[in-house]
Amino acid sequence: MNRTADVIIVGGGIIGNATAYYLAKKGRKVIVLEGSDNIGNGGSSRNGGGVRQSGRDPRELPMVMWGIQNLWPHLNEELDADVEYTQKGNLRLGKTPAHLKILQGLTDRATACGLDVKMIDAQEVKQINPYLSDEVIGASWCPTDGHANPMKTTLAYYRKARQLGACFITGEKVVGLQKNGGKLRRVITEQNTYEAEKVLVAAGYESRFITKTVGIDIPMIKQKMQCLVTEAEPKMFDQMLGTAEADFYGHQSHHGSFVFGGSSGQEGYELSKDGLISNSINVPCICRGILKYFPDLSKAKIVRSWTGWIDPCVDGIPVMSRVEEVPGLYLAAGFTGHGFGIGPAAGYHLAQLICDETPVTDMQAYRYDRFKAKI
Amino acid sequence: MKRYDLVIVGAGPSGLSAAIEAAGYGMKTVVYDENSRPGGQLFKQIHKFFGSKEHHAKIRGFRIGEELLQEASAAGVEVQLESTVTGIYEDKEVTVQRKGHIEHVKGDTIIVATGASENMVPFGGWDLPGVIGAGAAQTMMNLHGVKPGEKVLMLGSGNVGLVVSFQLMQAGCEVVALVDAAPAIGGYGVHAAKLARCGVPFYMSHTITKAEGTDHVTGVVISQVNEKFQKIPGTEKHFDADTICVAVGLSPMSQLLKMSGCTMSDDPKRGGQVPETDEYGETSVSGVYAAGDVSGIEEASSAMIEGRISGTRAAYEMGFVSEEDEIKELTKLKNDLLSLRRGMFAPGNKGKKIEKTEEGINVSQNLLTKGYLSEAEIFRYPGICRKKGLHPVIECSQNIPCNPCQDACKFSCINVGKDITSLPVVNPLAKCSGCGMCVASCSGQAIFLVDEDYDETGASVTLPYEFFPLPRVGDQGYARNRAGEIVCKAEVISVKSSPAYDRTNLLTIRVPKDMAMKARFYADRAETKAETAGGAV
Amino acid sequence: MNEVNDRSRDIGPFIPGPDDDMIICRCEEITRGEIRRAVHDGMFTITEIRRYLRCGMGLCQGQTCAKLVKSIVAGESGAAPGTLEPATSRAPMRPVEMQILADEM
Repeated sequence: MNRTADVIIVGGGIIGNATAYYLAKKGRKVIVLEGSDNIGNGGSSRNGGGVRQSGRDPRELPMVMWGIQNLWPHLNEELDADVEYTQKGNLRLGKTPAHLKILQGLTDRATACGLDVKMIDAQEVKQINPYLSDEVIGASWCPTDGHANPMKTTLAYYRKARQLGACFITGEKVVGLQKNGGKLRRVITEQNTYEAEKVLVAAGYESRFITKTVGIDIPMIKQKMQCLVTEAEPKMFDQMLGTAEADFYGHQSHHGSFVFGGSSGQEGYELSKDGLISNSINVPCICRGILKYFPDLSKAKIVRSWTGWIDPCVDGIPVMSRVEEVPGLYLAAGFTGHGFGIGPAAGYHLAQLICDETPVTDMQAYRYDRFKAKI
Repeated sequence: MKRYDLVIVGAGPSGLSAAIEAAGYGMKTVVYDENSRPGGQLFKQIHKFFGSKEHHAKIRGFRIGEELLQEASAAGVEVQLESTVTGIYEDKEVTVQRKGHIEHVKGDTIIVATGASENMVPFGGWDLPGVIGAGAAQTMMNLHGVKPGEKVLMLGSGNVGLVVSFQLMQAGCEVVALVDAAPAIGGYGVHAAKLARCGVPFYMSHTITKAEGTDHVTGVVISQVNEKFQKIPGTEKHFDADTICVAVGLSPMSQLLKMSGCTMSDDPKRGGQVPETDEYGETSVSGVYAAGDVSGIEEASSAMIEGRISGTRAAYEMGFVSEEDEIKELTKLKNDLLSLRRGMFAPGNKGKKIEKTEEGINVSQNLLTKGYLSEAEIFRYPGICRKKGLHPVIECSQNIPCNPCQDACKFSCINVGKDITSLPVVNPLAKCSGCGMCVASCSGQAIFLVDEDYDETGASVTLPYEFFPLPRVGDQGYARNRAGEIVCKAEVISVKSSPAYDRTNLLTIRVPKDMAMKARFYADRAETKAETAGGAV
Repeated sequence: MNEVNDRSRDIGPFIPGPDDDMIICRCEEITRGEIRRAVHDGMFTITEIRRYLRCGMGLCQGQTCAKLVKSIVAGESGAAPGTLEPATSRAPMRPVEMQILADEM
């Protein structure tokens, strides 16, 4: 097995896989090291599938809008796969005047960045989605948002990158990085050592433990989210949904099943962060949340639920950055639960950054050294 | 949150047995089962069980289920039916779907006794209506009184395949063939012999090539396979059939255990994914036990003992029983379990080819490939003797942990001895009263009463008979040999039924003298369709 | 687990087989050929196969096809069946209506 490459990517999630694909396409020799047994084992295949611009931090908007305009619409052809991308808009729902105030704020900030998003009233909401309950009094509406299948997208990038010669190794847990002559050179795993001139760490929350070995850290935490999926149901609607209250989000997949996600409000206060990660209160809580909006789904059967981790960064947007003080080190982590929709664009930008090209949108906002004390 | 001393998942033989022990020691115990009636698979089991008295031998499965329910109710066990445990979480919390709600309860201990599900094997047309699991066939016949089909081909020669084939015939279905890719019959020889003498053909080293039909099964094509289980071209045989019954083993339904965080291992000998447990069934998660098929596929008798062991151990761990009493009880239970796990079919012998019996007698190859003992082989075994007057003939040739025949005879004519797996020996000096208790007590229906001196020219053969309609005295029909071939005419000279026989009827036929050691079944017609069904394609 | 698994290792070419049209996962109608092809697409684990094809993700949650899928993946990738970790067990163990899940006691 060859353990030397132009670029080593630590983390086989959507960011790692997409970056590997765009690098391989540029002719770079890439090795992707994934600590778990499965490609796309973290949030990349556990998220709710949103491909959204609305609701995002304005600093993220240029990159995600570029991705939705330039990558997502052609991703099936690009990757020779069906990633189930559906661009039929995003409704962010409100049930109270307080909700509408939150939505109005998000909408104002996004329109300032040039995003086509607007507030609509209950009647307009019903025209877009007639299944919603009368409790909904308004929503923000972004017609260019949508959803895709996260598992298929992540694995399609993997498949295509692999076909282009990127080398993927699973079960290869990285324990540290090593410099050689002032530059980053080695990636140490539990059993092996790999070498490259450039290393991208895109390993979610666990990135902290890896970059710490060369004195770099990202201020982020680890937080549970749970998702659930119903059996296949007749086609009802094709928008992506979210709420001002953040009580659930989700969509109906091409397969017919509804994929919903949410939280119980108890996250972050669990005794143990390892071991059994699913709890018994989350799924009932998400169901109650959904049924207030979609009473018609009361008899839809949940066939499966799962838990994933999001990695909220202290200021709510990721780090995607070159680390000048450790020449050769690149970071992509702290996606804060919004990493899937931006994933293809992030991979495209990161590949440009690593190849010393000028990224198609400015990446200054994602610098690793932006964090400052509050006073 | 509602808290029990013990939460049991599954009200089958092991779950109920565990509950009876635990509640008997004073544990507040609840048993959840997703089905609308308790007993797991026991109420489908209309055949008599093997074993010794301690193992409920010669009692039919559904009656054991009734006994367990009575015991559980007397012990104060709370059995919650139509209650599906949907998950096990941190701190031994379980969620139960019940009466339109999700209930959260905790147990200081949990015993998972969820049993197993049937394996499937894919072949062309395996998704056609008419391809069913053997367990499904049993549910239809024995719980709901519905015939699964008219002409059935059985795939799988383990005990499930053999027992269910017999039950299908009892329900009035025709079993056109019993097929297995293995070179030798996997289940008890006595179960196979019951089918063979009715004329069911065995096709070992064969597999299903395809099921025919467009919207349901109308026929089956089988092919012979080589040692590598590859189909041999040109060996195809066609059968008309409307049902294909699949009995190719079981898989533990161990998902709940895995979810609870137990260390699991992949053990083909135990049927697949099983939890790693200690000798009491306790998993790597302290206080979570596994009992019965979920911890490794065996049968109901051992599942019941495993349940009792786990229930007793849980009671000890939680301080409901003294160490002294626990040791006494567990020693007895472990001995019972050990005695069941002995003999040729012991779990440790799975996959091994056994050439000789414990007595050193060559195992019948004919039995393993065709389902019956050949006439040349029969006299090797100690249960077969020829003598003047009425006497039992015990066609038991494999070491199985079973001894009711010994207890059935008041005149000590039959001896199994201390070792429960020994072949029964007929004492040539003992007198036979002809009571027939041994015939009815043999769960394998392998005991016959033979009188070669019935009259001047004829012999009498008394055989176990569990079919309807019952023949009547004076009926003139035919005798079949062990292979199911019609060998001579036969007259029914006695039909005995008695509560002591527990629905096994004793049919006595008169056959020519030279047929005394050949005639083993009675038929009212000279042929059945089974013999003409298999044809080349 | 966590065995080092090089996804570039040569498992030979995909050779079409006579049983490729046979449905293996009945809930999601996934064929043997699709599963075999997925292995050649780099899906070397049961979890990846599930996520890629949906097999074992239907109403029965793989109760019927799990063993069959495992033997196909093992045969195609050359891995010993015992080393293929089965899919994670996920609640609910049986499909449950949302209105029931929403109604806790």
